[in-house]
Amino acid sequence: MKVLVPIKRVIDANVQVRVKSDQTGVELTNVKMAMNPFCEIAVEQAVRLKEAGIASEVIVVSAGPAQAQETLRTGLAMGADRGIHIQSDEDLQPLAIAKLLKAVVANEDPGLVILGKQAIDGDNNQTGQMLSALLGWSQGAFISAMEKDGDLLKITREVDGGLQKVSVKLPSVLTVDLRLNEPRYASLPNIMKAKKKPIDATSPADLGVEVAPRVKTLKVTEPPARAAGVIVGSVAELVDKLKNEAKVI
Amino acid sequence: MASHSTGAPLPTLPEGFLAALRQIVDDKGLLTAAEEILPHVTEQRGRFVGATACVVKPATTQEVAEVMKLCCDHNVAVVPQGGNTGLVSAGIAFAEDRAIILSLSRMNRVRNLDPLNNTMTVEAGCILQNIQDAAARVDRFFPLSLGSEGTCQIGGNIASNAGGINVIRYGNSRALVLGLEVVTAEGEVWDGLRSLRKDNTGYDLKQLFIGSEGTLGVITAAVLKLFPATKERSTAFIALGQLEDALPLLSLAQSVIGEALNSFELIPRIGMDFALKHAQDITDPLAQPHDWYVLLEASAGTQQANLPTLFESYLELALEKGWITDAALAQNTAQADSFWRLRENITLCQKAEGGSIKHDISVPLSVIPAFIRKANAAVEAYLPTIRPYPFGHIGDGNIHYNLSQPIAMDKDEYLAHWDALNRIVHDIVVEMGGSISAEHGIGRVKLKENLHYKSPLEIRMMQQIKQSLDPKNLMNPGKLLPDTRK
Repeated sequence: MKVLVPIKRVIDANVQVRVKSDQTGVELTNVKMAMNPFCEIAVEQAVRLKEAGIASEVIVVSAGPAQAQETLRTGLAMGADRGIHIQSDEDLQPLAIAKLLKAVVANEDPGLVILGKQAIDGDNNQTGQMLSALLGWSQGAFISAMEKDGDLLKITREVDGGLQKVSVKLPSVLTVDLRLNEPRYASLPNIMKAKKKPIDATSPADLGVEVAPRVKTLKVTEPPARAAGVIVGSVAELVDKLKNEAKVI
Repeated sequence: MASHSTGAPLPTLPEGFLAALRQIVDDKGLLTAAEEILPHVTEQRGRFVGATACVVKPATTQEVAEVMKLCCDHNVAVVPQGGNTGLVSAGIAFAEDRAIILSLSRMNRVRNLDPLNNTMTVEAGCILQNIQDAAARVDRFFPLSLGSEGTCQIGGNIASNAGGINVIRYGNSRALVLGLEVVTAEGEVWDGLRSLRKDNTGYDLKQLFIGSEGTLGVITAAVLKLFPATKERSTAFIALGQLEDALPLLSLAQSVIGEALNSFELIPRIGMDFALKHAQDITDPLAQPHDWYVLLEASAGTQQANLPTLFESYLELALEKGWITDAALAQNTAQADSFWRLRENITLCQKAEGGSIKHDISVPLSVIPAFIRKANAAVEAYLPTIRPYPFGHIGDGNIHYNLSQPIAMDKDEYLAHWDALNRIVHDIVVEMGGSISAEHGIGRVKLKENLHYKSPLEIRMMQQIKQSLDPKNLMNPGKLLPDTRK
């Protein structure tokens, strides 16, 4: 069974994000980029499936500008077998990406697609679910454990209020949560091997997908700065402030 | 040398002295209660507890000057103190010092931040990490970085010429200070707060105070050098083929990566074992165990510098040469931080394995592997089950050559070997042209050892300098040089 892992290049999770002065978006020039942390977990899971003999091939795919290839190389260094780069400088929104991935699935015929539950830049949490609907496949979102059981996958989902255990039929689209695994480090020998692994280039046009954005961003602004705290002198004063100033009780 | 207090009676202060101090600094600037004084006289590792009649905490340079004038008039000795994170008890008063402690912690303002001149002017009590953060807020970088940076203060860093993890590229504190404000032993204020990179107008007096351990005057403020903020950082955790390979590996880094190289830290397997055993959230970055590791980091002030590509090709070359056998490369900041967390735990986790006898040595880089092997052989001949724990800033010739106790031995019984083991190790250091204190200083702990190894002429020249700036020997007496008071 082939496993397809869509991955995204985002601003490094530890970088302080700054809004552009013209409020059209966030500053990306001279900013450290890295693979979306949830995508790392998805790659790790796919590589473990291959090591366990369940997956026959792990394919990483990324849509975006030329630099997305660096992110694909990271996936290859973690143990994926080959990469697909969908070259595009558009503002790619979740529905467009889901359609691109559907076209890649048609070409590659994987038995399983594993994605991060969301990317830390847009925090959309939509692509996996949309892809599952477009393909008409089963879906398991926010998974923190998985186990193959014949033609079924037994998965544990992190839902509001606890864990939900369900089985999904293959083929399936899974989106992964933080607790699923601890991604491995890329070792130097594997980084060197990754340089020799193939990355196929394609484009939205090649895949026959229209990717023009459907949602227009009007303005991006910083959240309001938090007001400084105050030290209250007594419980009575605290209760008074909560009641009359914060109006929460 | 187990934890102990010297037991001598507290010094009595001259009549009216405390009241005069209180006049200068007010109640909140004067500590006289034993429980308030205790943290100021306790060495951070708990090895020593000193004694003093009071801790004075002036809030301004003017107050420091008035305190110093008062002390000079009354012949009361003064121990300047920063964050009290020093490792040689230079910032603590002991009963026989008959001294009060002058804490700079209330002087914690950033007086000026000039990104165009790449400088900032800070008061001595500023915590190092706050200085780093203030620089970062204007897109600049202050490179001094060490384990205690969340607590230590810049005045203490400068007075001890602190080193840390970025010395290979940026130098130690001495290289990062452009100007100083100093209150003299007699209570005058020297305004040497120049923010100039070129200034040949006489003796470079600030350099006398840098590394003087509070024995010449009180540093109250400093002008620090800033650098472009780091935009790209490449970090690798590397397994060495053998210890000796660290040298060509460093040499290759300097020729391929060049000045972008910040840190080159040696970690022994025993350090990794201690960290994995005792620290939380630590994983071995590599699949197999190895005898020696290097944590290597390079950084650039721009994204266009193509550092990651250079970095990878450097490591590939080293792998081909066989100098390294494996390496993990951080793919994001979180992974780089986890390598550094491991490095910090190499230091912290020694404590969990019982007694540790410390050495902070430097030798010429070219003989570091030879030093480690020779010292290991010598200490193992003395005590066969001892566990050598050499780690640290190998990139600048500085090794923390620590010795963990044999597994089954009683801690105090082991620590009784402190002086004997110091002598064995330091003899080898000196024979190889090294220093018995690379970055921690002399203070009180290494005073005798330093007198033993340094030439009488060198000691005499230091005493002459001290005599001219502190004629009454009231500045931190008994630290760095012997106490000559009656």
